Amino acid sequence: MEIKLQGLIPIPLGGKLLTRTSDIWNTTVSFASQNWIKVLAPSGSGKTTLINTLYKLRHDYNGTVQLDNKDLKTINGDELATLRQQKVSIIFQDLRLFENLTARENIELKRVLQKPYYETTMIDEMANRLGITNILHQQAGICSYGEQQRIAIIRSLVQPFEWLLMDEPFSHLDNANRDKAVSLIQEECSKRKAGFILTDLDEDNLFDYNSTYRL
Amino acid sequence: MNQKHTLDYLLKKIIRSGIGKTRYIMAATGLTIAMLLILCAVQIQFDYYELLNGKNNRDSIANFLVVNKIINGNSRDNTISKESIEDLKKQPFIDEVGQLTSSRFKVSAQSPSDNFPFYTELFFESVPEQFLDVKSDKWKWETGSTDIPLIIPNQFLDMYNFGFAPSQGLPQLTQSLVMALPVVINVTFQGVPIRFIGHVVGFSDRISSVLVPDNFLKMANRQFSGSPESQPSRVVISTKDPGNPLLVKYLQDKGFTTDADKTRFSKYRKIVNTIVGASSATGVVMLLFALLVFSLFIQLTIASTSKEISLLITIGAAPRQLQAFLMKQFLPLNIIIILGSLVIVVLGQFFLESFLRNQNMFISQWLSPYTIATAFMILLVLWLVNYFTIKKYIGS
Repeated sequence: MEIKLQGLIPIPLGGKLLTRTSDIWNTTVSFASQNWIKVLAPSGSGKTTLINTLYKLRHDYNGTVQLDNKDLKTINGDELATLRQQKVSIIFQDLRLFENLTARENIELKRVLQKPYYETTMIDEMANRLGITNILHQQAGICSYGEQQRIAIIRSLVQPFEWLLMDEPFSHLDNANRDKAVSLIQEECSKRKAGFILTDLDEDNLFDYNSTYRL
Repeated sequence: MNQKHTLDYLLKKIIRSGIGKTRYIMAATGLTIAMLLILCAVQIQFDYYELLNGKNNRDSIANFLVVNKIINGNSRDNTISKESIEDLKKQPFIDEVGQLTSSRFKVSAQSPSDNFPFYTELFFESVPEQFLDVKSDKWKWETGSTDIPLIIPNQFLDMYNFGFAPSQGLPQLTQSLVMALPVVINVTFQGVPIRFIGHVVGFSDRISSVLVPDNFLKMANRQFSGSPESQPSRVVISTKDPGNPLLVKYLQDKGFTTDADKTRFSKYRKIVNTIVGASSATGVVMLLFALLVFSLFIQLTIASTSKEISLLITIGAAPRQLQAFLMKQFLPLNIIIILGSLVIVVLGQFFLESFLRNQNMFISQWLSPYTIATAFMILLVLWLVNYFTIKKYIGS
């Protein structure tokens, strides 16, 4: 699935963006399927806005976002749900877990929302790799940010997808844990032949990016 | 656990935690109370109606009233004119009007036996058969027959048995004994007595007069009377409700009087009618109040989960999926509450019935169909409110 942006400007950022150049805002850019894309973005440049716009959580923008030439604004309701269940997965910067569900239940919910891509045992495997097996039974609300972030990463990986959107996915992880997560994500994306868009503040060489954009 | 069960379990956990246990219980209690209010309002209206208009609660004797002009000594003519009778027939609260025809010839009765001698002058009256409270095969007269069936007031026998007989040292008589005794009836026509044999065939509580069959009296009046046909001075009316205040007012306005005993309840009826009216108004208020509680309940439960619903949509739950799930969450609760309320009202009705039965008031042991229909209607309304509220919240 190709993602194409044309003249995209979030309305709240409008004035600020016209005074500087950007590889993404107010231009035409397309992300070919299976590409691994890094979006380098200093704070306040609209990093989260971009991710939320691509995931259709925000509509307050000018220009268009097209998925395989279909305007994202025309995708609604159950069709949008199918998109989120089958084609686009996400790791939010603010994690967005159900605090009253346990870590395992949060992941399980995403797994069973559609026809499961993995068996439930895969959750244990991934949790083991990221070192959170011991907190799987804990309520997500009482887990540390680092733990919550790893739960969110696993949650995004138990569903089928063609694109994985990641908004500062390792912000709460130390380097050792980050590397474990990177290798898991790499494997899962390769397995699915999926692309991803990762936004972060700084440059890095964590993945073999196909291209890097400055926001 | 398969996928569907797991999903339902997780969604349930999310929604429940969103609503909160206390709020859930409070809302369900509110819904139950509202439901009880509505069902009771409907059932009580029905019970009132049944108490006031039910067949068992009315005395069959009281449905017939003998009506005559008030005798005040000022007017010599106390007959009831044809116009008055027509007017009576037109009144909605009067079903039928029957004239009491009286004899216009001299008649006397005497005992056929010397063992039990008596002689009295008397008069006859007749009413159309449907106004009689005595049913007897012997109540008929065939042209040419000298046997005349008679119906006498029960009061006559009472007066004889409890007043006359003890004072005269005479034996008291049972109804069957009186019915076994023939009576010699003499009709005097142009100075010549004509002899008939009378048999008492029944005793009336309704009409205090000596009654003979209508066709006999018509014939006798034609044959033995010298005077022209006159207007009746008494009529019998049949009415569904002798306590109806309208009937009482009508009779009063037209200068009629009737058995005061039977119309006395009219005053209480006015009071009861007022109370029933007030209670219907209360019922409507209760209904509105209950509907308000319903919609608040649904909005509250759904609004309190709006955060969870929005997050579910965010991570990719389909609106249709959620809507079906939420409907499945609320509908069984609604059904349980409605059925529970119905059961409580059924029990209430059951106890009310036995309580009232002890006081000789009769209502049905079971719920009225209106109450049950109301319950189902509310279920439908609830379903619709649920459906649209959920749709609205998920849509936004």
